[in-house]
Amino acid sequence: MLRVIKVTGNSLSPEYREGDYVVVATIPFFLNRIQVGDVIVFRQPTYGTLIKKVAQVERDNDQFFVVGAHPESVDSRQFGPVSRQALIGRVIWHIPKSAK
Amino acid sequence: MIFKLFEAFDKRFVFERASAHCDIPCGIYDPSGAQIAALTVVRMVDLMAELEAKGGTMDKAFANSMSRYIAVKEEHAEKAKHEIRVIWGDYIKPQHLEKYPQLHEVVHKIMQLGSKSRQTADRDTAVQFVDAINQFAQIFWETKGVKTKRAKAPYSPALEMVYPDL
Repeated sequence: MLRVIKVTGNSLSPEYREGDYVVVATIPFFLNRIQVGDVIVFRQPTYGTLIKKVAQVERDNDQFFVVGAHPESVDSRQFGPVSRQALIGRVIWHIPKSAK
Repeated sequence: MIFKLFEAFDKRFVFERASAHCDIPCGIYDPSGAQIAALTVVRMVDLMAELEAKGGTMDKAFANSMSRYIAVKEEHAEKAKHEIRVIWGDYIKPQHLEKYPQLHEVVHKIMQLGSKSRQTADRDTAVQFVDAINQFAQIFWETKGVKTKRAKAPYSPALEMVYPDL
């Protein structure tokens, strides 16, 4: 239902930085309403569990094109779109380090 | 305060990690290194043939020159294979393979010709090695939308090469 995940890496910086926490909703209700701009957590066969921003939603074949904010981000531009089956959840709460 | 709370829970229960993965790809890919290395292989085969044609005694000077040519041939054949493997593994993406389905076959041919160029002193094999890498270079530049031209290398062996037409 809800999972807490720690962010590693900086491809979503400055918005999300290394060490931040996110609360991710895994409820289908939230996953059915993923929109451009949402931040999602998903499994990628090569890179493991990743967190990226949705840049495009392909409703027809249930896929998401994800990107990072950083120019050196490894994202859909390298590994292609993310399928719904690979989805873990959508970020509904961001707890940045700066919230100390 | 909230972050500290999450941090404390993390220390206790260890939350899952999700990577905002960043690579540092230099983005600099160029088959010219492989092309030059393959040309060097042909050049070394030519020098070996020239040395042999000179005749003379099989003295230490002969052995020294011949072994140096062989060593450079070995090194550059392997270097050409390595350069192609890096571009193939790091740069080539599924969409490139969709457009150029022959790419795997071209790379495999390069690997085999590179190995054969090391095993033998056969000039035809070395020239085929250059040709196969030129094929790869042609496709590589097309994937980047860069026009190519064919021109003879401005040094021995003056084989026809694929160059980006910038």
